[in-house]
Amino acid sequence: MKRTPQALLLLAAWVVALAILGWFVQRQLVVGADLRLFLPSPTTPEQRLLLEEVGEGPASRVLAIALDGAPPEQLADVSRELVATLQDSREFRLITNGEFALDSVPDELLPYRFLLSPTLDTQRFDAQYLHAELLARARDLASPAGSFLEPWLPRDPTLEMLKLLQGWQPMQEPRREYDVWFDRSGHRALLLAATEAPAFDPDRQRAALAELQRALASAAAGAPVKMAVSGAGKFSVLMEERTRGQAQAFGTAATVGMILLLLIAYRRIGSIVLSILPLASAGLVGLAVVSALFGTVHGITLAFGFTLIGVAQDYPLHLLSHRRPDEEPAAIARHLWPTLATGVASTCIAYFTFLFSGVIGLAQLACFTVAGLAVAGLTTRFGLPPLMARVAQDFGASRFLDRLWNRIEALPRMRWIAAVIAVVALAVIALAPRQFWENDLARLTPVPEDLLLQDQRLRGELGTPDVRYLLVVDAANSDAALGRLEALEPGLRELIERRAIGGYDHAARYVPSAASQLRRQQRLPDLDTLRSALREALVGTPFRPDVFEPFVQDVERARTLPPLSIESMRKSSLGASMDMLISQRRERTNALITFSGVQDVAALRALAAAAGSDVRLLDTKGESEALVAAQRSRMLWTLAVASLLLIGVIACALRSRSRIYRVLAPMALTTLIVLAVLRGSGVSLNLFHLISLILAAGLGLDYALFFEHASADRAEQRRTLHAVLVCSLSTLMVFALLMISDVPVLRAIGVTVTLGVVFNFALALLLTRPELRNVPIASLIPHQGAMCLLERIVEWDERRVVLETDSHRSSSNPLRVADKLRAIHLCEYGAQAMAVHGALLAGTPAAADGMLVAMRSVTFARDWIHDLPSSLRVEAECLHTEASSLQYSFRVTHRGELLAEGRAAVMLQAPRTA
Amino acid sequence: MPAVLLWPTTLAAAIDPDALIARLARPAPASIAFKEVRVSPLLREPLVVAGQLEFSGPSSLDRHVREPYREDTSIRGESVRVEREGEQPRSFALKRAPELRGLLTGFSALLSGDVPALKRSFDVQAQGSEESWTLLLVPLDTRARRRLQKIEITGHDSTPRCFSLLNADGGASVMILGDAAGEVARSDTLESLKELCQGRGA
Repeated sequence: MKRTPQALLLLAAWVVALAILGWFVQRQLVVGADLRLFLPSPTTPEQRLLLEEVGEGPASRVLAIALDGAPPEQLADVSRELVATLQDSREFRLITNGEFALDSVPDELLPYRFLLSPTLDTQRFDAQYLHAELLARARDLASPAGSFLEPWLPRDPTLEMLKLLQGWQPMQEPRREYDVWFDRSGHRALLLAATEAPAFDPDRQRAALAELQRALASAAAGAPVKMAVSGAGKFSVLMEERTRGQAQAFGTAATVGMILLLLIAYRRIGSIVLSILPLASAGLVGLAVVSALFGTVHGITLAFGFTLIGVAQDYPLHLLSHRRPDEEPAAIARHLWPTLATGVASTCIAYFTFLFSGVIGLAQLACFTVAGLAVAGLTTRFGLPPLMARVAQDFGASRFLDRLWNRIEALPRMRWIAAVIAVVALAVIALAPRQFWENDLARLTPVPEDLLLQDQRLRGELGTPDVRYLLVVDAANSDAALGRLEALEPGLRELIERRAIGGYDHAARYVPSAASQLRRQQRLPDLDTLRSALREALVGTPFRPDVFEPFVQDVERARTLPPLSIESMRKSSLGASMDMLISQRRERTNALITFSGVQDVAALRALAAAAGSDVRLLDTKGESEALVAAQRSRMLWTLAVASLLLIGVIACALRSRSRIYRVLAPMALTTLIVLAVLRGSGVSLNLFHLISLILAAGLGLDYALFFEHASADRAEQRRTLHAVLVCSLSTLMVFALLMISDVPVLRAIGVTVTLGVVFNFALALLLTRPELRNVPIASLIPHQGAMCLLERIVEWDERRVVLETDSHRSSSNPLRVADKLRAIHLCEYGAQAMAVHGALLAGTPAAADGMLVAMRSVTFARDWIHDLPSSLRVEAECLHTEASSLQYSFRVTHRGELLAEGRAAVMLQAPRTA
Repeated sequence: MPAVLLWPTTLAAAIDPDALIARLARPAPASIAFKEVRVSPLLREPLVVAGQLEFSGPSSLDRHVREPYREDTSIRGESVRVEREGEQPRSFALKRAPELRGLLTGFSALLSGDVPALKRSFDVQAQGSEESWTLLLVPLDTRARRRLQKIEITGHDSTPRCFSLLNADGGASVMILGDAAGEVARSDTLESLKELCQGRGA
């Protein structure tokens, strides 16, 4: 770090700017947790229904609660206490334990009981019916089992209230002990709760669960009662906590590791500061942009975005690794800028396509990443150089890196390996056992298997609505919907008889249609008729004649009541069930029929088909899978477009076909290899694999671009090696940690990116080494045209160079006389080899400032060389260096056989800088 | 004479409910004939049914009504099953009918002599003398008390004669047990039944 006042001022200003931005972001930022932001936008009516209705629908808000740890009687009491406490809670729409007493019929609904109960459909309140009822009531009174009815008899001798209550109980009821629900074994009390908050809102779900815990603590009052809560809401809380917890843990570990790595790599604290600045700027600007454009940032976007910004940390690392004592940091930054900019541009293009993916969460991610990467690139280019001091440290001179580089160079250059790998990878991908894409959203859940099983069991016992299958009735208004539901009743009852389903529920079970209510109303007798019927009925019963006047009054009142509407029902305590079963959507009304204990789906389908076009069977799992598949094909198309754009950008930047190939090949091959490894190990790909593949490709592109840029310059190659080593190690650190997570999303990202980094690094090194065959030798030495006798560089290092040539056989060889070439001209070959070596060492073309001054100890094995069939191999080795002269030895061989060798001295025009 | 009349009452406080209940115990299974008179503000005249009570264990009671209609009520633990001629059998939980629980608990206590069980649900007091006694059971649970005010079991020596469930609204259900059952007439009022229970003819 530069310690000049200007530099420190700039640093201070930067930090302050970041602090202000940070404060601003923290004030404005709302972190959302609605997981539906990461679900695709619906396109078909079924999908819309799925996300709007079912996402907030009956099954998703239901929590199943089981109590144990105490004797059943005590559990029953606790169960009752819980219901009493949470009855008016704001967090719960509904909490029930199966208990019903006659006084639990809401007061406002009592007058309507004659219209709501199905009695009047088949009976009339005539003398015959009333007599039978009264006799039964008398016997009830005589039995201690029925005497609890006594207070209600004057108002309701035909027990309409009791019939209503029984009708409102779920069809598949759990076992009852002490009047409340228990599980099959009778050891655990069961309750059902429905939260106000949808399952997709983990924060509110957490609040609801906390309230439930508090209520339990006060209800149990010291008894060791344990509560198990299970449901979609609970799982979303669990998922969010686990993901967040692990992301935080990994983030901390990664940060610590990163700092250590930077210290080891650069050995100065300044470099840590310098690498943090662009990263922090990128993160804060990204947050600010997303906050400004979307209003909220989703938690997953945040977590994911920061790992993607991990790409951005590579930019300052490249700058730091390319430092050299003899160049201004500004100049270095200028040098690197084309490559850096190409890297930034191509990664941004890939993420830009997420804006069109149709998923809001991914669009947020795109904005975050593009903004962040752009800022990181620009701050590295313009913001860091003024802060960087010239350092003596030059990684280009590192012995370790040199040795490493030589070993890498020595690796055989097998072009055909690339082709073989590609073919093998494609074969593995095509033939891998499991399906290619993971369509089942449920597999993304990190909820442990045993909790899911417990949930299933509890739901089965409680008869809660099936999560998967629903019948949806579309009607013009709520009354029409109720009419349709009533019309479907016979079919539904038949399904129960056939055991295709265990039970069903719909709004018309609670509120009959206006037509049904009116029909029943019309069957109610008028005042006088009822009174005379009652008088007749009382004969032969032990009741007092005046006792049932309240009943008469209630019937009379009911004759003029307007039909009960859904809206008024919603305000009652049954409103929670109403809301879940029937809703207004855009001038149409949707009524749902939920099922429990579905055994035969085909029967459901048949019912829906026979019922008409306004009744649809919704298979939530099937629809969600279709949704995911549609989203994915859209994404793949946009990715294809992005790839084309990317290739275009690279092509414009590099302009040479071989260079383009060297840059794109590692990335493309790595993608294939990673896909093959994933598929070969039985992993089905999901959205997060895709995103990670793009991230890994972006990294690979950066590595390849920088290696390609280094080209022939040895020192530059070493510096690039240092940079890419540090970059890939830092990225590996973060993502390798993610691999050990048990959250499927994080694990998918971790595995994919780790594999991607490793293979990209390896392939970039292997495939991106500049092809020395293609370096034009004529550009290195003064000898031009036909006089340039050497054709190909095989290998070279600081001490020696090896070249090959077939020019001895060429008829245009100027040294030939009468179609023959004397062996003595091999000295010229040797001299040119030395010149090439000198030029390669100098690093810049045509800088061979040496003059051959003497040759001695030259031996020849033959006289003529024009007739040698194979290539000549010319080696020149530097034996001795001094400030102004060099001593070389050279050897020429043909098919391993020595043709000539000797020594030479080269005088340098300008002393070499060490 | 007044002294003689006074003598049983002064001894009233001395009767020990636990000992009394212990004396009343009888081995299960036990079967007792009964006649039940149901008095209620809703009724013109009391309802009278007659039948057998069968007790076969601490939570196991059967009430067989044979006159004037057939009705069988079985209590097993917490479940109750009622089967009446011409109707579908019904099952429900015992807690729904505190009167029924009162009947069950009271009877099982009487016949098994399980005082602690009785004291868990009721406040137990005894009045009268060894020859002519009354056991008073008041439900401890406030909600149950809203319906069932108290249970009175009257008898003499070691034979219970009457089992009365008295309701809060003034209604009552009086079960006359054993031999005394035959002495009940339709026109009996609550008061005359009380006298019958207290052993008018003892």
